[in-house]
Amino acid sequence: MIDLLWLVIALPLGGAAFLHFFGRYVREPLSGWLASAAIGTAFFIAAIAAVPFFQGEAEPSTIPIWEWMPALGANFELLWDPLAALMTLVVTGVGTLIHVFAIGYMHGDERFHRFFTNLNLFAASMLTLVLAGNYAMLFLGWELVGLCSYLLIGFWHTRPTAAAAAKKAFVVNRIGDLGFMIGLMVVFATFSTFSYSGIFERAGEELTGGLATAIGLLFLVGAAGKSAQIPLYVWLPDAMEGPTPVSALIHAATMVTAGVYVIARSAPIYEFTPFASTVVASVGALTAIWAASIALAQRDIKKVLAYSTISQLGFMFLAVGATAYVAGIFHLMTHAFFKALLFLGAGSVIHAMSDEQDMHRMGGLFRKMPVTAVTMAIGALALAGIPPLAGFWSKDEILAADFARGGWFYFLWIIGLITALLTAFYITRLWVLVFLGEPRWEEKAHPHESPRVMTLPLIALAALSFVGGLVNTPFRLTLEHFLEPSFEGVHIQHATDDWLTLAILAGLSILAAAAGAGAGYLAYRRPPERWRRFEDSFEPLWGTWEQAYGVDDLYGLTLVTPGRRLAEAAAFSFDAGVVDGAVNGVGRVVRGMGDWIRPLQTGFVRNYGVLFLAGAVVVVAWLVAGGS
Amino acid sequence: MITPPEISWLAIAPDLALTLGAALVLLVDVQWKPVARVHAWVSGVTVAVAAGLTVAQWIQAAPADALAFSGLITMDGFAIFTRLVLIAATALGLAAGWRFVAGLGRRGAEAIALVLLATSGFSLMVASNNLVMMFMGLEVGSIALYVVAGLARERRESEEAAIKYFLLGSFASAIFIYGVALIYAGTGQFEIVGIRDLLAGFVVSSPAVIYIGVGLVVVGLAFKVSAAPFHAWAPDVYQGAPAGLVGYMATVAKVAGFAAIARILLTGVLDLSGSWLPVVAGISVVSMLLGSVLALVQGDVRRLLAYSGVSHAGFIMTGVVGGATDAVLFYLAIYAIQLIGAFAVVAVVAGPDAAGSSIDQYRGLGRRSPLLAGAFTVILLGMGGLPVTSGFVAKFGVFTGAWAEGYEWLVIVAVVATVVALAFYIRVIVVMYMDEAQEEGTLRIGPERWVLVLAVAATILWGIFPASLLDLAADALPI
Repeated sequence: MIDLLWLVIALPLGGAAFLHFFGRYVREPLSGWLASAAIGTAFFIAAIAAVPFFQGEAEPSTIPIWEWMPALGANFELLWDPLAALMTLVVTGVGTLIHVFAIGYMHGDERFHRFFTNLNLFAASMLTLVLAGNYAMLFLGWELVGLCSYLLIGFWHTRPTAAAAAKKAFVVNRIGDLGFMIGLMVVFATFSTFSYSGIFERAGEELTGGLATAIGLLFLVGAAGKSAQIPLYVWLPDAMEGPTPVSALIHAATMVTAGVYVIARSAPIYEFTPFASTVVASVGALTAIWAASIALAQRDIKKVLAYSTISQLGFMFLAVGATAYVAGIFHLMTHAFFKALLFLGAGSVIHAMSDEQDMHRMGGLFRKMPVTAVTMAIGALALAGIPPLAGFWSKDEILAADFARGGWFYFLWIIGLITALLTAFYITRLWVLVFLGEPRWEEKAHPHESPRVMTLPLIALAALSFVGGLVNTPFRLTLEHFLEPSFEGVHIQHATDDWLTLAILAGLSILAAAAGAGAGYLAYRRPPERWRRFEDSFEPLWGTWEQAYGVDDLYGLTLVTPGRRLAEAAAFSFDAGVVDGAVNGVGRVVRGMGDWIRPLQTGFVRNYGVLFLAGAVVVVAWLVAGGS
Repeated sequence: MITPPEISWLAIAPDLALTLGAALVLLVDVQWKPVARVHAWVSGVTVAVAAGLTVAQWIQAAPADALAFSGLITMDGFAIFTRLVLIAATALGLAAGWRFVAGLGRRGAEAIALVLLATSGFSLMVASNNLVMMFMGLEVGSIALYVVAGLARERRESEEAAIKYFLLGSFASAIFIYGVALIYAGTGQFEIVGIRDLLAGFVVSSPAVIYIGVGLVVVGLAFKVSAAPFHAWAPDVYQGAPAGLVGYMATVAKVAGFAAIARILLTGVLDLSGSWLPVVAGISVVSMLLGSVLALVQGDVRRLLAYSGVSHAGFIMTGVVGGATDAVLFYLAIYAIQLIGAFAVVAVVAGPDAAGSSIDQYRGLGRRSPLLAGAFTVILLGMGGLPVTSGFVAKFGVFTGAWAEGYEWLVIVAVVATVVALAFYIRVIVVMYMDEAQEEGTLRIGPERWVLVLAVAATILWGIFPASLLDLAADALPI
């Protein structure tokens, strides 16, 4: 089966190609089903190929596809190890469910097939990223998922906000990519290869502390861009302009976790730089609490989930930064289940309410859409960290591992604990505001339960969110053993073995989650006037949170506007053509025979000549000065 | 007694074939006034013969007789590879500009003859081992291009472009030949190999003269490749010259200019690299940054491509800094085909003889002509250097060389510029796919389609399997 592994990438890629060229001849639901079938088949192939790992008897293997730039150690080769297998299963599994959901959600959109083209293309790119056998190919996937994300955020391009959000995502991600690219160059300059095995085997000999730290921090810049961490998280809330299935697939379950994956994959490098690892963990912890506090006060249902995603990604960074790689990947997996569920549930609600996203205008939807309500409740409890749901096990493992690390990590652990409390509060608030209380929507809204093609994926994800955490509990460390071959020779931070400490830590986590959820329920179960007053009593904090600390305005004022001015100034001084149309502009002014020489007298050519001469003088002077 | 130079016909055979072909086109035109199709056959056969002779050179080439005509001409792998790129660019350029040429009526033959002559000039230039010979080739090529720029003489923009190109180009040529004179004054040599041997063997007493000479030669050539700050002509000329032939003009000038820069700097005065490396790196940085930033704010696709050309000149300069001729050659080959492809799209969208090509014309192109938009997308992504396109491999090659040479900061600036550059390529793509079309009706695609097919194939295939071309470039060493 491993020989057919390339099909995992080729199937969604082929699906995208087919839909691109022939999509318009395929009727509406069929093109969605084709796309779903492509990625669903990829899931089955990956699952069968992963069986040996489940049996614990297979070694990681590299599958060469073709030689790309062999001299640089950059070939098309797939690395099939437990980490890649797990990521592939999450991407294709959750991806398939979201594809199916989107068939219902995108119903009636005039560019239905185009949406699935892009979705399939994204899946192929993401699978390239996780299956890559070297950094060059990983980078290929990294760039392509960014591109797809950009295209899908701006899918409803006629909305100016969508276009602006797409542009913002692109720009911010490019800043992160820049750091990642420079990091890759340092890697290449050090090891003269991009291949994982070539780099990791020699990491001990080639890496000095400073070099490892530089690489680690540069990778962090890239990861922070892709995974929306401080200070590069600002694009993700805006990315919610995209269709909700896109938010679920790209901006919750898969693409945004690429940063976590890269850091986990580069564990043998981080092994040599405790400093960079600590920075990763600290950035994660800070992001977690920062975004969670913003999520408290959002009114837009998707914004709550967006900030929640940022916060949960912070948790994953907190884990991999503490070298608790298994815990980080574990949380990545459970988060993919319950956050995809929450996003799709939110999509179902938005769909039912005719594109209403403001939670102040919802309420009382439980009776209208029971399946969505119940499945979302499971997702919410999983996120809040109520046992025995999935989120509890993974979050608790992260916190316990940080606690066991000690020192500075005690502090990060406390931040994590507070974040857990906030998390439970905001997600309970969301659920209560949407599903309980008196209806606050207008009479003509007519909310209704979504069709089965949308609710079945919800039920499947709810089931996963329920039991998904049981793959790695302190009683049975299945995932840990599963992932072992991927982290050979790397120190992995574990929770303590002492059962009493573990129980106390778990008790604290449960207490925080229960307190947050309880407070949220009690505060928002009341009539609107009461909870409005409750929110007002937190002013001016509440307003600050609602405005997301004003970071967007700050960036706008300090970076965007001056940047634009600079570009305009450069354009004006070096190319007046932008301003007045150069050739044509001059040409139009001039009339009559023989007037073609006029432009010479307008000074254009003379100006060019002067620029030329000045450049020549500088070049010659520099040469002479440098040479003698 | 004067020994007559020994004649090596093979060394100049492709150039001779091109020149004879140009004459033949004119003669046939005068004698029979045939339809355009006949010219297509004559020029096509000419280009094919020239290509065949160049391949014959490649097969014959041996280090022992790399020099011909008493050292005026070389037949090294470097010259042959570059010549092949030039001839390929001619074939593609004529195909891309064919509707323009055919539309010129009786003057079509002139256009073809000028294109063939320009190629023969530049082809001689890249094979020159002698600076004066190089100047000859440069002028033959450049003067032909000035006229090509003004071929659409009914349009004022075209004439204006031609005049601007001519005036500034003459300025650059004068600076170049002055530099040659100073190098001769400092070394007593016109021959590039001779200069190399001299610098290797002697301590030169008055190096300042040589430095000034090298500086002026570099400036003159930097103009031809539109490197900043010697680029000011490029946007106006690219915008004003006939759309069909702009791609050809831009490409051959850039290929020949960079081949000359590489040959002079990396063979002739390599021993002085300590002093010219920082200067070339400086030109590279200014070109990359200025080109990328100014391309961002353009509202005309042709100006955008011109400024992107400025930034590409900067990228190729990083390859010169790295001293890797194979990386430079690979980049030039890839960029040549992509640039002609891009302008072929412009020629289709704007019309073969138009001036300017506002970005508005591209809105909704994805729906009006999906294949054309798809091809343009691939080409633009290739120019942007997205992985699995040949542009990525090309950028990677030149960057690696510069990094190994110790110019890490230059590579970092180059990466920043790459990041910025991708933004304006993607902007065009977004406009094509996400905006509503402002014009209706399908676009007429003529022979441009073959150019596009080849450009797309080269971008993807050499992006995925670059080894074939990389190996060829690695064999194409200068003497």
